[in-house]
Amino acid sequence: MKVAVIGGGVAGLSAAYFLAKSGVDVKVFEQKYLLYGASGRNSGGLTLQFNNEPLIRLAKRTLELYDSIQSEVGFNFLLRKDGYVKIASERDEAKLKEEVEFQRRNGVNVELVEPEFVRVLFPDINTSAFSVASYFADGGVVFPWPVVWGLAKGCRELGVEVYDYTPANVELKGNELIVKANGESYKVDYVINAAGAWSNEISKQVGVELGNKVYKEEICVTESLKPYVDPYVMDISTGVYFSQSMRGEIVGGILGSETTTLETKASLDFLTSYAKRITELVPKLRGMAILRQWAGLYDVGRNGMPVIGETKVKGFIQLNGFGRHGMSLALAAGEGVAELIMKGRSSIIEPFKP
Amino acid sequence: MVKIEHGRLQEHPIVDFKRGKEVTIYFNGQPIKAYEGETVAAALYAAGVRVFSRSFRWHRPRGFFCAIGKCSACMMEVDGIPNVRTCKVYVRDGMQVRTQSGLPDAEKDVFSIFDDVIDRVFPHGSHYSKFTTSKKARDFMVKRMRKFTGFGNPPRAVFQGKAEVEEIETDVLVVGGGPGGMSAAINAGKYGAKVLLVDENPFLGGQLIKQTHRFFGSAKERAGTRGIRIAGILEEELNNIENIEVRKETRVFGIYNGEAGAYQRLNDDEGKLLRIRAKKIVVATGAYERTLIFENNDLPGVYGAGGVQTLMNVYGIKPGNTGLIVGSGNVGLILTYQLMQAGVNVAAIVEAMPRIGGYFVHAAKVRRLGVPIYVRHTILKAIGRKSVEGAVIAKLDDRWQPIPGTEKEIKCDFICVAVGLSPTHELLYQAGCEMKFVPELGGIVPLRSKFNETSVKGLYVAGDVAGIEEATAAIMEGRIVGIHAAVTLGYGGEEAKKELEEAVREIEEFRSGPFGERIVNGLKKCTLESEVVS
Ligand SMILES: Cc1cc2nc3c(=O)[nH]c(=O)nc-3n(C[C@H](O)[C@H](O)[C@H](O)COP(=O)(O)OP(=O)(O)OC[C@H]3O[C@@H](n4cnc5c(N)ncnc54)[C@H](O)[C@@H]3O)c2cc1C
Ligand SMILES: Cc1cc2nc3c(=O)[nH]c(=O)nc-3n(C[C@H](O)[C@H](O)[C@H](O)COP(=O)(O)OP(=O)(O)OC[C@H]3O[C@@H](n4cnc5c(N)ncnc54)[C@H](O)[C@@H]3O)c2cc1C
Ligand code: FES
Repeated sequence: MKVAVIGGGVAGLSAAYFLAKSGVDVKVFEQKYLLYGASGRNSGGLTLQFNNEPLIRLAKRTLELYDSIQSEVGFNFLLRKDGYVKIASERDEAKLKEEVEFQRRNGVNVELVEPEFVRVLFPDINTSAFSVASYFADGGVVFPWPVVWGLAKGCRELGVEVYDYTPANVELKGNELIVKANGESYKVDYVINAAGAWSNEISKQVGVELGNKVYKEEICVTESLKPYVDPYVMDISTGVYFSQSMRGEIVGGILGSETTTLETKASLDFLTSYAKRITELVPKLRGMAILRQWAGLYDVGRNGMPVIGETKVKGFIQLNGFGRHGMSLALAAGEGVAELIMKGRSSIIEPFKP
Repeated sequence: MVKIEHGRLQEHPIVDFKRGKEVTIYFNGQPIKAYEGETVAAALYAAGVRVFSRSFRWHRPRGFFCAIGKCSACMMEVDGIPNVRTCKVYVRDGMQVRTQSGLPDAEKDVFSIFDDVIDRVFPHGSHYSKFTTSKKARDFMVKRMRKFTGFGNPPRAVFQGKAEVEEIETDVLVVGGGPGGMSAAINAGKYGAKVLLVDENPFLGGQLIKQTHRFFGSAKERAGTRGIRIAGILEEELNNIENIEVRKETRVFGIYNGEAGAYQRLNDDEGKLLRIRAKKIVVATGAYERTLIFENNDLPGVYGAGGVQTLMNVYGIKPGNTGLIVGSGNVGLILTYQLMQAGVNVAAIVEAMPRIGGYFVHAAKVRRLGVPIYVRHTILKAIGRKSVEGAVIAKLDDRWQPIPGTEKEIKCDFICVAVGLSPTHELLYQAGCEMKFVPELGGIVPLRSKFNETSVKGLYVAGDVAGIEEATAAIMEGRIVGIHAAVTLGYGGEEAKKELEEAVREIEEFRSGPFGERIVNGLKKCTLESEVVS
């Protein structure tokens, strides 16, 4: 059996890794360098705080897989489970409460907490800048780069060809799936469309309308400080979030918004809006210098859900639409797709079928 | 001839150092005498402080290096705010300054033993690959590692400065007030364009400020004038044109689709964000110094020529007692006699090429002062634990390899690397200009039209950032881009168009001599399709 994966992000590499573990002949194509996509540009927040059951299941499994894959591949993803905190202003209090109740019913150990509780976790937070929070102790932060490097290492050690700087296109000839890349044509049994923000275009090539929305999200880091911010903090009312990287930079951004152009230019508007809110939340960050800013693109599937499974074109599999949560979801999704190919079905990804 | 007091030059044959009021700052709790108008780093240096920080991983000592806010070696905690570049902040009475890395402080750092062992135990990249198989070991490692990372202290105080936003509209924004930028502003402004010129320094002049020598170069009226004077002349011209606004201590940090973001420092407690919408933007950010690769090249006391010039000629602080100069180009030679002028010994000049790089007149002057010049030699290593105590040099063979047995130890307490400059191109990359590595022009430079417009429409370059040349060329390029920006905005009419042609002709003539050959060859490699003025 031959499988081609289009997209060298966390989704594509995870599928390739699990297929290779079952002995399948896999090739991964990445148009630019590994880390070019959202997987190399994100903030690495990991949580189970979702508001529907299939997503929670996918995220739970992904958290488990982070542990096992690091051990199998022998690579440290620098994952810290120091908690994931969602904070909200008064107007979003009801929404957050409802979410917490739902999550607790579904076996997620989250708690609704007072601002004072958050201050104990992170003393510099300004408790008057929000009115309520939800705390998930087993959430945390992973450094996305070693995730991608580690998965690629695992793939290569299992014999997977991971081609970087190799854009790929798919062609449907009768019933045959042909992948064109490197100036060559590869006849394959399965194509996995894990092209992130570019997935719509790949899908179109075989005549499947995907309709994922593309979002652009901006983010920045400050100069490095000795680590003192442990949890990942997400303000659901303004979309501003932050955490501290292993190198000590305060990494923070604002949730993305829909875009029509596939460009990743950083903006001054982002910097000013971010600076304004982050210094309300953490006044002591006021004198800090910002070192870098950048932007990334991700795709959001129908109703905000990922799209995972085989399409009406036999052998053409979607593995995209992860939106703002690919780091929390994609490992299990990749494992599910491998299971689907090997066994014909996979219950964990069933709810996301195209 | 030159009096020195507290590490500061008191009398200098050319520069007259006007010092401000005496103040006291506290360094790791110890009082230190300083003068208003001095940067924190300069004052600490004058007081004999050599270790300013420790490197991130190996805890190697880091000292005053670039003096212009570009290298981060001088970052300290100032009044509770971490990661402040002390070479860019001015002293204030009672200021509390602390080193951030190292236990108990950067000078006495006990973690400096890492420098000897860490590479054996944890070679680079090993934090991803060691202790990975057991989850327990991994989690433990991540927790431990996190204790050792990070550079600055967590902030202890809320920065009290006011922060405002000002929106500005202008025809032409000029970034950088060196000769290139000043000339661009003058030439766009004189035809009526509304110009805003910004420079991150509290003074205009760029590199010229440090050039106390008489200038070489062929600009008719200016050769023979001291660099400092040329800066003054340009600034006067600038101030005489009403529609040019100048903002000092204003650093442009990004160019976003025709809008520039800048931070203007107003005083110790106030600053503002400028959002500048400009129809044309001229980037004239100059260049910074290259360094060389040799053992211990990061030791405090290894400097770029510019860093030493800044210390000595801008702040009047003695860089050390005896220097070794690496590189015999004009910069190395000029620096040598500037040092001697200030009463500092120069042990030797080493030069890898078989002959001296700079002009004969400069070399002759240096020789007369008794400084040996070793051609076909290079520096092998710097000696010292916390700062430079000497250097080892050696002779090179025909394949540029050091010849064993020719090593010679030189006693010196600072080393000055003067091996050329590279364009300060970050803003251009960030703005999206097409860039190319052109060795003849000193590094990575933008593609440009013959009017120095880059591939981003309306974005121009002038001076060293377009290719390392000299002040005369920077002034000439500034003239071209200034007029071109004005003309394309509808200012100046026929007269301006004529002057533009003349300006292009003049620079071509200037570069037609033997010294211009390299530049002309370099320019051929980065020319965008030429553009016609309509
Ligand atoms: C700023 C930001 C912050 C984020 N923060 C978080 C967070 O805290 N937590 C979280 O869980 N998620 C976060 N995300 C979302 C997360 O990054 C994504 O959901 C996830 O990385 C998606 O992975 P992917 O593999 O589907 O896509 P990508 O990583 O985008 O990979 C797709 C790859 O396909 C390649 N490709 C496209 N077309 C072709 C072609 N024709 N041929 C070959 N290759 C092609 C692309 O170059 C790209 O590398 C964030 C995203 C951004 C941008
Ligand atoms: C030791 C030495 C001796 C020299 N001798 C001679 C000589 O004899 N004759 C001769 O012709 N040339 C000489 N030169 C070369 C000459 O000084 C330079 O070529 C010339 O100064 C270049 O001018 P410029 O305007 O391009 O850049 P610079 O003079 O470097 O000015 C750039 C300016 O931009 C500012 N800037 C940078 N980034 C930003 C930002 N983001 N925001 C705001 N401002 C910014 C900087 O603060 C600086 O003031 C010498 C140079 C040196 C180092
Ligand atoms: S940044 Fe201050 S010495 Fe380089």
